[in-house]
Amino acid sequence: MHESVTAFAIATLLLGLGAALVHRWHFPPLAAYLLVGLVLGRFLNTESLEPLPSLGLLLLMFSVGLEFGPDRLQQMSGRVMRAGGWDAVALPVGILVGFLAGLDWKGALLLGGVMYVSSSAVIVKLILDLRRAANPESEVVLGVLVFEDLLITILLILVHGGSGLSFAVVVGLLGLFWLLLRLGGHWLNRQLQLLSDELVLLLGAALVSATAVLFHAAGASEAVAAFICGVLAAGLGLRERLEHLFGSVRDLGVALFFLTVGATALTLLDSVSAGVVVVFLLALLIKLPLNFKGARVAGLSVRRSTFAAAYLVPRGEFNLILGAMAMQQGYPLVGQVAVLLVLISIPLGSLLMRFMPSWYNRSK
Amino acid sequence: MRVEESVLPGVGRKFMVTVRSGDRLVIVIHHSGSRELHYYERGNMDEPTAVLDLTDEEARELGAILAGVLFTPEAVGDTQTKLAQDTIEWVRLGPGAPCVGRTVKELQEQGAHLLAVLREGQALIPNPPPELSLTVGDTLVLAGPRGAVERLRKQMIG
Repeated sequence: MHESVTAFAIATLLLGLGAALVHRWHFPPLAAYLLVGLVLGRFLNTESLEPLPSLGLLLLMFSVGLEFGPDRLQQMSGRVMRAGGWDAVALPVGILVGFLAGLDWKGALLLGGVMYVSSSAVIVKLILDLRRAANPESEVVLGVLVFEDLLITILLILVHGGSGLSFAVVVGLLGLFWLLLRLGGHWLNRQLQLLSDELVLLLGAALVSATAVLFHAAGASEAVAAFICGVLAAGLGLRERLEHLFGSVRDLGVALFFLTVGATALTLLDSVSAGVVVVFLLALLIKLPLNFKGARVAGLSVRRSTFAAAYLVPRGEFNLILGAMAMQQGYPLVGQVAVLLVLISIPLGSLLMRFMPSWYNRSK
Repeated sequence: MRVEESVLPGVGRKFMVTVRSGDRLVIVIHHSGSRELHYYERGNMDEPTAVLDLTDEEARELGAILAGVLFTPEAVGDTQTKLAQDTIEWVRLGPGAPCVGRTVKELQEQGAHLLAVLREGQALIPNPPPELSLTVGDTLVLAGPRGAVERLRKQMIG
């Protein structure tokens, strides 16, 4: 038997226990996955879990692309857009902080992204788990997330690791996808409807992983590749079907992915300087007033705007991608801030979302 | 009645229904098929008075009850419910009706829909499958624009 099976058994057992434990208090499981990772990191070599965590991240980005692609912008109302605009102020502020911290433009852009982007995946999961989907603030929050994901994808394509040639490859590939969708989208859609679920599942998996490999070879982020595949699939009218087909596989991969994030965070955070902590606190706080203001502009009450600002606290997938990129390119400050943000903001955000309504009512 | 529809990325779709009394019902249809119903009383739009979770099947059954498929209140009239341009009609198949013995698939009329089939001694058949064969005594529930429903009714009972 392959050694990875043992590691898989231990990891899933502990993840399941962790999720069951927090479930008793109606608490979402993502924070528990990170915690299990933190504890398990010392004993378990997470390398042996591969490729499931890597695939988990790709599938996560794929489903974020499916749900939060730019085509959603057309369905958003103007008031949600205005909230997105206020939220986006965090990006230039973050870049400025980067320059003040002595980073060059690339590092500053990465830090700006890290400070700006909240996690669509985590927040959607929290909204579903805590049954807040019908609340007015959820609509605004989800619209803001569409906005963020689009801006960050553009930023990630701009701040890539490779040369000018690889950038051309990525843009060329994007153009090809766009053309395919424009010219053959209708025909493809009809063909795909005839295929069996199993075939669509396999083709989807092949598309995501192959595009990821291509992007990686070109020096671009493979996670962006998965996101773009999701957007493409949504354009082909496969949104519901793929969401249904990939859902459970993705959830398993994502649980293991967050476990490895927790496990590798320890070594990364061994040498945290005061500067990192300052930037981290700034990143955590900067978005609260901006999102409160944005939600107010979008027509929510003071109470609901407070909730909206709290909902947007959790950071996740994009921060980890930006952080990994920053580490690779020699900006340890940005990488550490990103990981620290994810580790702290997910449990903190879950707590805030869970208890905010009762706290707010009591203070009145 | 005012209905506002909005998309919730990653979650599904939301419908906000405000009725004449000022009360509001917020319906969320999840990608998973389950429905969430939140009822807000007039004057208190901040906190729902009641919340109800439904599975896909329960929601469809509830929808059929609301549409009057199972029972038509007398105030509305015996066989027709008027919805501005559209109509819902109940048609009972007597012996000798032309469509007896034919399948649902064969009953095609642009714009008109067959919502359900009521068959004596059986559970309601909502969204009848195309291969369902019609028999004497069935009551069919049709909906759509008045003209189209009328034409479909003619096809069925001549």
